[in-house]
Amino acid sequence: MTNRTGKPAPVTDASPIIQIREVVKTFKNAAGEFTVLKRVNLDIYPGQFVSIVGKSGSGKSTLLNMITGIDHPTSGQVVIGGTDIYKMTESRRSLWRGRNLGIIFQFFQLMPMLTLLENVMLPMDYVNHGGFDERPERAMDLLKLVGLEQFAHKLPLAVSTGQQQSAAIARALATDAPLLVADEPTGNLDSRSAEHIFDLFEQLAAQGKTIVMVTHDPSLTLRTSRNVIISDGELIDETVARALSLLTHPQMMAVTRRAERVSFPPLRTIIRQGEHVDTFYMIIHGEVDVVLQGRKKEDAVVARLTAGDFFGEIELMRGGRSIANVRAGPDGPVELLSLPRDEFLRVVRESPLTEETLGRIVQHRLKENQSADRRRKLRLFG
Amino acid sequence: MRTALVVLSIAVGVFSIGVISGAYAIISNDMSASYAANAPSNIELRMADFDESVLETVRNTNGIAEAEARRVFSIRVRAPGTNRWTALDLVAFDDFEANRVNLLIPVEGQGAPGKRQVVLERDALTRVDVEVGGLLEFELPDGSIKSMPMVGVVQDTAMGAGDFLAAPYAYITTSTLQYLHEPQDFNRIYATVSDGGDDILHIRDLGAGLKDRLEKGGAYVVRSRFSETHTHPLADTTNAILGILMALGILIVFLSSSLIANTLAALLQQHTRHIGIIKLVGGRGRQVLAMYLALIMAFGALALLVAVPLGGQGAYGLAAFIAGELNFTLLGYRIVPTALLIQVLVGLLVPLIAGLVPVINGSRVTVLKAISGEAARDEGGRPKVEGRVSRFDRFQTRVTVALARRGIHIPRPLVISLRNTFRRRGRLILTLFTLTMGGAIFIAVFNVRVTLHDYIGAISRYFVSDVSLDFEAPYRLSEMEQAVMKVEGVTRVEGWQFVSGELLDETGMVLENLNVFAPPAKSELIEPILVAGRWIEPGDVRKFAVSEAIFKYYPDLQPGDRLKIRVLGKDETWEVIGIFKFVDREGLLAYAPYEYVSRLTNYANRAFMFRLVTVQHDRAYQDAKAEELDAVLRERGFKLLSAEAGSASLDTAVESLDTLVVFLLIMAVLTATVGSMGLTGTMGMNVLERTREIGITRAIGATDRIIMLTVMVEGMLIGAISWGLGAVLSVPFTMLLARIVSLAVFETPIDIVYTLNGYVLWLGLVLALSALASVIPARNAARLTIREVLAYE
Repeated sequence: MTNRTGKPAPVTDASPIIQIREVVKTFKNAAGEFTVLKRVNLDIYPGQFVSIVGKSGSGKSTLLNMITGIDHPTSGQVVIGGTDIYKMTESRRSLWRGRNLGIIFQFFQLMPMLTLLENVMLPMDYVNHGGFDERPERAMDLLKLVGLEQFAHKLPLAVSTGQQQSAAIARALATDAPLLVADEPTGNLDSRSAEHIFDLFEQLAAQGKTIVMVTHDPSLTLRTSRNVIISDGELIDETVARALSLLTHPQMMAVTRRAERVSFPPLRTIIRQGEHVDTFYMIIHGEVDVVLQGRKKEDAVVARLTAGDFFGEIELMRGGRSIANVRAGPDGPVELLSLPRDEFLRVVRESPLTEETLGRIVQHRLKENQSADRRRKLRLFG
Repeated sequence: MRTALVVLSIAVGVFSIGVISGAYAIISNDMSASYAANAPSNIELRMADFDESVLETVRNTNGIAEAEARRVFSIRVRAPGTNRWTALDLVAFDDFEANRVNLLIPVEGQGAPGKRQVVLERDALTRVDVEVGGLLEFELPDGSIKSMPMVGVVQDTAMGAGDFLAAPYAYITTSTLQYLHEPQDFNRIYATVSDGGDDILHIRDLGAGLKDRLEKGGAYVVRSRFSETHTHPLADTTNAILGILMALGILIVFLSSSLIANTLAALLQQHTRHIGIIKLVGGRGRQVLAMYLALIMAFGALALLVAVPLGGQGAYGLAAFIAGELNFTLLGYRIVPTALLIQVLVGLLVPLIAGLVPVINGSRVTVLKAISGEAARDEGGRPKVEGRVSRFDRFQTRVTVALARRGIHIPRPLVISLRNTFRRRGRLILTLFTLTMGGAIFIAVFNVRVTLHDYIGAISRYFVSDVSLDFEAPYRLSEMEQAVMKVEGVTRVEGWQFVSGELLDETGMVLENLNVFAPPAKSELIEPILVAGRWIEPGDVRKFAVSEAIFKYYPDLQPGDRLKIRVLGKDETWEVIGIFKFVDREGLLAYAPYEYVSRLTNYANRAFMFRLVTVQHDRAYQDAKAEELDAVLRERGFKLLSAEAGSASLDTAVESLDTLVVFLLIMAVLTATVGSMGLTGTMGMNVLERTREIGITRAIGATDRIIMLTVMVEGMLIGAISWGLGAVLSVPFTMLLARIVSLAVFETPIDIVYTLNGYVLWLGLVLALSALASVIPARNAARLTIREVLAYE
């Protein structure tokens, strides 16, 4: 009973490094208006390695442009590191970006007339980072970090695309910005180069950099600490995405819209054993315990579920009454997304893959419950 | 934007060639036509005083159509209340109504003066501050002053034409002569011939015969002057100048064609994708070619629409300016068919030729290449996978790496500017070509100006004296010395002789008037520029040094050769001892020693002309002394004709040369304009092509200021390189231009002088122009939002 990434998003008490509030972006052209981002809200915390995924035209690059200050929101607010970036002029924002943000593009975008070393030094010159004479050394260190020191004096044209992207990462690190933003950084690379680049991202994430990366490669989203999905300009609830990851994005969006947030204090029973269940639950935050009750009303916790996990599906899919008690964990309140029975069944029917997977999970959980029940009985008689 | 640039590039070339070819046609036609329309005299005889009977003799001579007699004398004039005297040549007409030769064209007020009235030639207005109806004061030889109203302004296209140094004219009737204490006699005859007005040999022949006849009748002809009816005396000079202008015009067309080629290449590159699509849906290379050729023709037609009317106006404006400077009237505004044809040809053919290579290349692009964007975006677009780095790029990086190893780090934004400069090398070469040409011409014009002034300066060594005194009668040298040395500031005086004569050919025919000046052989008031032989010596008898203009008649003349001349009515043979450089005035100039000429004229120890040296040599001091000497000598009863500052006539010559330089400068500025337009276009195209890169720099922290600086430094670097090349190229340009101008003006090649002024001024100007040419592209670059840039993805 784990979510697909296996890595729950770290939620810290620190304030978010990126706060996107009610951001709307509408483009106008001869055909009329087209809203690409629809009241998007998103918080990203320091140290997170976030992937933003979505289909082509879903608005993921536009969302990224809102974070980098490359584009203006039609309405809403983007605060990065405490700075409302759209209150600055374009020129000041550029300077701010140079100091606070490292950007990595799909097409690397190295300056073709500068050597790799010079490319890395360029942002330092622009934002006056460090002493002028120290810049070559720092740039060389960064090229070493990405394994390009022997190509330092080559022009981008003279090295491979993978090496160009590595150099672009070194450039993004040049001003020691706390935040790295990457737009499909491996989209134009062969798989070996892509692997190398992603290794670099993982290293940087491990060193504490906050990384926001747009990608459409599902294999990469498995390796990030958080996965934000955008569909038709709206963010899919991350709990829904983790719990029902095999749904299509529109289906996830439908669930996101219909699911309701509910909260339970510690140890409060959510589903009572033997009663009818008509809700599917997905855990946003906190823990729930699956408890089997004996004839003497003694409790046995057979499973503990955490954020991204779900419950209620066995009863909804099989029909019948609850086979166990489910209650909020003892350490704190639990926040859940609840989806009514009909809605859940409709979504499952629409997604054969999800139905099949859930079926397997149900079988698996039933077996686990049966063996837990047997173990409990053996203990009782032994 | 790019379309506008192509049209503008074509229009500049069409306009320039239109202005110049139009002006050329108008001037070459109108100059002679307007000159001829005013019945210029073919024969001018300057004579000792004569009466009506001599005129009758001339009129009755076979082959003479019209003849008029006039009295011409020098007089000083000023506006009442001022103290600035100006020398005028006053021309007395018997009857203005019967004016048939050297016609006067009324400009303002009355065309003919009444008794005790004066009419001014319009040129005189620049020297005398008076309006029609105003009074003028005339100083008579006895020092008395007479007033006359100025009742009109006329234009006299014939008299004085061709003489840069001539005094301006004013006109009175013979009835006014008495008022000015002048005799009622005439001293000049102006005649036209009935046939062969454009046959100078015939005119000379007729003139010589007439002169003989008059002299046999007891009249004395001091000098004669012959000219053709349809040849303006300055036609050669003007044609030479127009020739230079035409050459510059062709150059501008050439330069604008490189601009067109540049812009079309960029346009075609932008259209590569469209070409790909056309080919994808079945279009053939030939159809694409035809489509773009039609587009170029449309550009040409648009440019013609703009440039032809402007060119017509410009041509007439330039012609009117030149006509004003050379004192002739244009026949009226008109479109010159030849100029129009040239404009149409230039407007349609030059863009076609210039655009042919880019268009052919564009039409040959393969669908794959076009659609993939490879051809269109080899810069700043999607990065190429590993490719070849050019040798030049490798060289550039090696230089910076080598510098870096020595601890010299160039800021990267500057490195971008430097390397961007050399990225589009074909475009750079074309841009540099236009700017370099503009610069070289600009610098050359300054060098030529200084060269001309230097030559005038050298000529001023023929006028070392501070004050020149001319008298009506000869005075003893000792007497004059006594008189003038009393004037404070005068340190030395020399008496010079002058004798006029004629240069003859082997058969005794008059070739040219001859003015023989006779300073003391050891005079320090003249420093001749000898090109061959030696200067005059006291013992020289029938020997003289002649000006270089003699080569026109005797191209192989060498010192030691003998020339046939007529002097004081006698044919003699004199030996040429030296040949010197000088500007000739109304005939050939020669120097012989005073020691001999004073005996020849029977005025030993006497002179009509005196040259004085004063303690100070500036123009103001010279003027003051001339005025003082004028007053002192008149008071003592000397019959003074004029007292002038030594450099007065030179200043007039300098003014004339400056007019010429202004023409050249206009052309230089025009070429510089074309050059900077080329640079603006190049920078615009560069910025357009590098939009993505500019967006990237913005994404990584570049502010507006840095982006603008990066673009502007690139532009200024191109400007600086063009300056260096222009400075080198200006040397042969200066040589060529100086030679053409000096041959046209001085009829002799002159030594070239180089001045830093042109180089420094052009450096400043080209940097300013480059900065200006880059500022709009730079601002556009800075205004680009990154999203716009990345929207190319």
